[in-house]
Amino acid sequence: MNVDAFYLAFGVATVVAPTALLVLVGLSSLVGWSISEQTTARATQTAVVAGLLAAIAVLGLMLFSGQRHVPIELGNWVVIPHEHFHFHLSFMFDRLSVPFAILTFTLVGTIGAFANRYLHREPGYHRFFLLYAIFLVGMIVACLAGTIETLFLGWELVGLSSALLVAYFHERPAPVINGQRVWSVYRISDAALLIAAVALHHLTGEGDFIKLMGQGPWPAGHAALTSSQALFVGLLLVVAAAGKSALIPFSGWLPRAMEGPTPSSAVFYGALSVHLGAFLLLRAGPILDESWLLCTIVVLLGSTTAVFAAMAARVQADVKSALAFASLTQVGIITAEIGLGFRYIALIHIIGHACLRTLQLVRAPTLLHDYHSLENAIGQHLPGTSGLEGRIPGRFGVRLYRLALERGYLDALIDRCVVRPFLRTFRWCDRLERRWTAKLRGGAAAEFDRQGAPAYPKELL
Amino acid sequence: MADGKTPFDTAFHPGAAVATPPARSLAASDRHADLEHAIEHAAHLLPTQAPIQVFVHHNTLHAFEHLSFAEGVERGGRTYGCRPYLREEDFHAKLESGRILREDLSAVLVDDLADSADRLIGFLGTRYRLRLAMLEHPLRHGPDAELRWWIAETDALRRFRPEVAQGVREQMINRTRHWVMRDLRVGRPRSDEPIRTAAATLIERFGSGNVEQWDTGTWEAFTLHLLWHICRRGVRDLPIGDQSRSSDDSAANAAQMSNPVAVAVRHRDLMLAATGLDSDRLVNEVLIRFCAPFLDQGLAAWQLPAADDGFLASFSALYANSHPVEPWLRELPAELARIATARLRPLELIAESLQVLGVPAEEQDSYLERTLLALRGWAGMLWQMETNAEWAARPAPRGTLVEYMAVRLLLERLAIAHLARECDESPGDLGTIRVRLRQRAVVPAATSEYQRAFVIFQLAQTIGWHPPDLWRLTPDEWLTLIKEIEAFNDVERRRVYQLAFERRYRNQALDAWLAHAPHARPTESRPRFQVICCIDEREESFRRHLEEVAPPCETFGVAGFFGVAMYYRGLAEAHYVPLCPVVVKPRHFVQEEVVYSFEQSHRRRSETRRVLGHASHRLHTESRSVLGGAIAALLGSLASIPLVARVLFPRLTAQVRRLFGQFVQPPPITRLSLERTGPEPGPANGQLGYSVDEMTDIAQRVLEDIGLTARFSRLVIIVGHGSSSLNNPHESAHDCGACGGGRGGPNARAFSFMLNDARVRYTLAERGLNIPRETVFVGAYHNTCDESMRYYDLDRLPSSHRDDFETAKAAIDEARRRNAHERCRRFESAEMDLSPEAALRHVEGRAEDLSQVRPEYGHATNAICYVGRRWRTRGLFLDRRTFLASYDPMLDDDSQRVLTRILQAVIPVCAGINLEYYFSFVDPSGYGCDTKLPHNITSLLGVMDGAASDLRSGLPWQMVEIHEPVRIVFVIETTPEAMLRILARNPSLSELVERDWVQLAVLAPDAAVVQLYRGGRFEPYDPETTELPVVGSSDDWYRGWRDHLGFASVVPESCGSIAAASEPRA
Repeated sequence: MNVDAFYLAFGVATVVAPTALLVLVGLSSLVGWSISEQTTARATQTAVVAGLLAAIAVLGLMLFSGQRHVPIELGNWVVIPHEHFHFHLSFMFDRLSVPFAILTFTLVGTIGAFANRYLHREPGYHRFFLLYAIFLVGMIVACLAGTIETLFLGWELVGLSSALLVAYFHERPAPVINGQRVWSVYRISDAALLIAAVALHHLTGEGDFIKLMGQGPWPAGHAALTSSQALFVGLLLVVAAAGKSALIPFSGWLPRAMEGPTPSSAVFYGALSVHLGAFLLLRAGPILDESWLLCTIVVLLGSTTAVFAAMAARVQADVKSALAFASLTQVGIITAEIGLGFRYIALIHIIGHACLRTLQLVRAPTLLHDYHSLENAIGQHLPGTSGLEGRIPGRFGVRLYRLALERGYLDALIDRCVVRPFLRTFRWCDRLERRWTAKLRGGAAAEFDRQGAPAYPKELL
Repeated sequence: MADGKTPFDTAFHPGAAVATPPARSLAASDRHADLEHAIEHAAHLLPTQAPIQVFVHHNTLHAFEHLSFAEGVERGGRTYGCRPYLREEDFHAKLESGRILREDLSAVLVDDLADSADRLIGFLGTRYRLRLAMLEHPLRHGPDAELRWWIAETDALRRFRPEVAQGVREQMINRTRHWVMRDLRVGRPRSDEPIRTAAATLIERFGSGNVEQWDTGTWEAFTLHLLWHICRRGVRDLPIGDQSRSSDDSAANAAQMSNPVAVAVRHRDLMLAATGLDSDRLVNEVLIRFCAPFLDQGLAAWQLPAADDGFLASFSALYANSHPVEPWLRELPAELARIATARLRPLELIAESLQVLGVPAEEQDSYLERTLLALRGWAGMLWQMETNAEWAARPAPRGTLVEYMAVRLLLERLAIAHLARECDESPGDLGTIRVRLRQRAVVPAATSEYQRAFVIFQLAQTIGWHPPDLWRLTPDEWLTLIKEIEAFNDVERRRVYQLAFERRYRNQALDAWLAHAPHARPTESRPRFQVICCIDEREESFRRHLEEVAPPCETFGVAGFFGVAMYYRGLAEAHYVPLCPVVVKPRHFVQEEVVYSFEQSHRRRSETRRVLGHASHRLHTESRSVLGGAIAALLGSLASIPLVARVLFPRLTAQVRRLFGQFVQPPPITRLSLERTGPEPGPANGQLGYSVDEMTDIAQRVLEDIGLTARFSRLVIIVGHGSSSLNNPHESAHDCGACGGGRGGPNARAFSFMLNDARVRYTLAERGLNIPRETVFVGAYHNTCDESMRYYDLDRLPSSHRDDFETAKAAIDEARRRNAHERCRRFESAEMDLSPEAALRHVEGRAEDLSQVRPEYGHATNAICYVGRRWRTRGLFLDRRTFLASYDPMLDDDSQRVLTRILQAVIPVCAGINLEYYFSFVDPSGYGCDTKLPHNITSLLGVMDGAASDLRSGLPWQMVEIHEPVRIVFVIETTPEAMLRILARNPSLSELVERDWVQLAVLAPDAAVVQLYRGGRFEPYDPETTELPVVGSSDDWYRGWRDHLGFASVVPESCGSIAAASEPRA
């Protein structure tokens, strides 16, 4: 057997292991076949370890054979000849995707072991592990994707499982409202990514990163786009990345995502899914390279987010929000690094930050214990940290504090500038429709129209 | 409002409503005092939970303790929207599994109904019979739609309910068949024409041709159809709801009270009922966001500006110059500016808001109360920090709660005006809006005819009311029947179930106590060693195992601060913490000191600790900043090592950490600064510690309490306890309750030090209490989570006692293992077949595991408190459910001086623990703080669910999930007369007892006789059985069983009679 056969075997195993887990957990809940916590835990462990070993094997082979770019083709799944469209499932192992996949397996696996005990005897145990499996598949598919459509598939799975995990405690209203909020922001970012994919197809006739980005292995690719095309597609990708990574102006959803169980908050919003936007920009690096304007925008977006989030993190009085904004600070910096062209630094930054933040979030409930031992070690109440805010003059300081406490008014702004007009338009359409149907029926409003229309819970939006 | 214009003309601009501040006249200040009083009165309803690091168990419904338990839980339930008892289906499950027996139901009912039990309901039987039937067989209730579906889609009209006895069923079918064949089908037409028609239609439907050949099945279905028809017809056109109960005032009031819209006073409640819009969601969001940094004890790096100026001032400072984006807040800055210019004081602002909101004076108190409860966790914490937290890093200034109310009402004005605009409410002032909303509000329907018919239909089957009898009922009789049924509503039923559940457990317990008597003998010989533990029910199993392992030992129980109420500061601790019950305010300060020879290394190590502490604190905070975070993150891959290690190998990681930790630990030999040289106790040098006389008093008191005044063994071990676990915000709730949620090791150490002191012994001897010269006391600390035991001051152990200590330690080590093993039976994640060693490793792992949300189960399942001599319970398997306080009635004087002081501490503390567990279990999301999974530590004070919720008080579900909600039974070894005298002299105790918040029984000191307290006197308890399983060891009894276990006598010599024991487990 030659090296290629090994590549194929390990490459496929990397993707198939989590998929098998999803099929097992998903099918069992679909047919109402209840499996014990122990079985779920063991299946999860097996799948993650198998995937992790396969990914490490691919890495080993790459180092051994010196190959820096290994595509795995799984053929066309949808072909529409007269539209020149094919849905091409292909995965790509290179210096970007392999470390990311290994990181994903490590963190998700650790959190799986953690959650197995943390959620022991919880009524939603299986639901959690189902969503967990979806998330794992989504992350692996997204980071190994060789075409933009494949990436979109993973991207969607990650979004779906994230939103459902935020709404994990669905018997209370707040998690559901917040889950919906996360979902809505994700939809905006999904739409942007989808349009970008279509645009890329339209411009180049291809969705494959390998052709799109030119020949060289990551990060040395070269996009086959003109500067203005790159700007257009790139902007869409930036919107997609901003939604997923909670960059300005979408930052409002990140603290809201802390409604779910601690392990999911840790791995999803503290570590992996929040970096997915940055990963997209890394993957699309060659497009960024084509337009300095685009790079400037990315740098500005990243650094503004970093500054804003650092400020917000300082005022949060609850540990999970503080960690969420701390996380966002680093994501902002990572984004800026990508814009500046430091691709490797960004990758190392992502990996380190994800590990650190997962550990911190997982330990969040032990904060009181930690503070207590720190106080004992220091021998006094914990000293306040000296930040810049001490030097800001009063009025302005209050203003900044308010901005940070209100999380930049970002949610309220989106409500006002996007949600309200959107709702108004559709309500107007609704009224119009009622009027027409009434007219067609000869004046009388239809039965269902007359019944007290439910009040729109406007303040939810 | 002297300007002629009514203040409400411009109500949609709440700010403009009151242009000039009300004159500050005498009347106004009276009114303000009233308001302040109303708010402080309502504050009693707020949760009284202190900051979470000092978790102290207390009755969740403390505010309702002036009522009886039954009234209290109902009133409390209505006030907080929580369950008073378990749900009916929970009780049904207990009925199924035999945890409640039918005889309990009937006994409780007979008691409860007293004289009215035999009242006849028409000719349908007695009230007792009806109620028993309603309890014995779960009735299906539900909305109309559900019942219609049930009737149409199930066998409800074809087959009798499964529990109907064969005889009852056949009789009813036969009787109906006769009636139909004789009177309805062929008889002469009489007044019962309508039923003839109905019967004819039904016969038609079942096949009239061969009616004589119908089989039993057809007749069964026919009977049920006819019965259903008669029930439907019977309840038709009877008054529904309040009118039907007009004769019975209390019931009508109850119905009135339970109707949320009828009692709603707040705009928000009415608006929610009328439109589905919730103004609290808007208001709470702002307030949560503000309260957290306002109360923050040091979590956020950047503090709220002007937080020390008070709630209102700080709020104004923050928002006065803002430009809110949310439409409903747009007028807030102008409002705040107006308040500032007019210099409105908080109470004036509240008065103004109430006026603008149009709240009439008589509704004012309840309006304020309901408003305060709208965000009760945060409001409660504000009140606690204002009134009860002078020790905290940043207590809240006086008046905070009133200012919070002022801000809240202001925000509510804005929110309601905004929402009224949004839902196109026609204009008017906020008061008129309230009136209009009340009219529009959807009043939840009372019981419908369909539901009534269905209940009677079900009851008729189980009790055996035959269709011909029911048909003859007059409308008045139907009404009586319905009233009877509805008077025994769901809360009433659950109350009776609760009593029955408690009765079953109580009877089993008392029977066990009595049946164990033959096995219980006082030991005459001098014990090998003695162990004094806390009364905590978690130490019950430890003591039992120890006595099994080392039969010649003796154990005692006393409140785990051992009479040493002190502020204590350990060598490696930053602050003094109080170690004593919360009701006691310590006067003495004690510090751990390093011995001279270790001073050098101590100084070096504490410096190292300080440096490391600063470094990790910097890492902690800086990792959240921009640059520090970036540097930390670039090296962050290293974090994956501790992450993976701690999650996958918690116990190993902990051992490695401890290994490294040794280098910075305080030196192994330390001393307590226990002996005071100065005259007065205090925190300064020379004021630390106790005088010899004070030590003697403590020693004498505790020894008298537990009845250890003679027969001292050579070695006495004093065991304090506490608990340590990771990732557990509620860690302190597992610590020693008698130490105010602290760890009782230092108390045990101090107490043994006092008893070892020669001068103390000399003074004791002068007072007639002789401790033999060869007796040595050793302090120890028992960690109830990882089951470790640490001994203090062993360097001072005389070498003559080395062997004694080795023997005792070996026995204690074995007892620890067995105790861990017994605890593991409750942990589902521990295998059933663990060996004691493996069980010990398992619990050690739990304590160090970041992902473990149940490090231990704490006080869950607590149910009994025994105060008396240990030998009467020694060898009785009490399943870690019993607080054990030692007391010797023979040594007490005639006025029960000793017993009184024991009970003054034990009854309130144990009742508090028991009731907190009761409520957190009965309504985990209302009274408890629900599941731990989304908990988020906020302001270092408490936990929220997620990033913006009310502060959650109570116990988390993972702590209480195995609890059984029964009111605690105090079994006290004394005479009824003595107990009644103590109650008469101590109103705080008699209130709890008389109002049924606890149960009380006395065990005669000289005979195996129990008397139960009921309604002010003691009645002899008549045991149901004198049989009790006898087993050779505890392990023989609990092995292989996860759930509730019954009682058993553990008699080491008799290993044979297990077979007899295997049955009555449940």
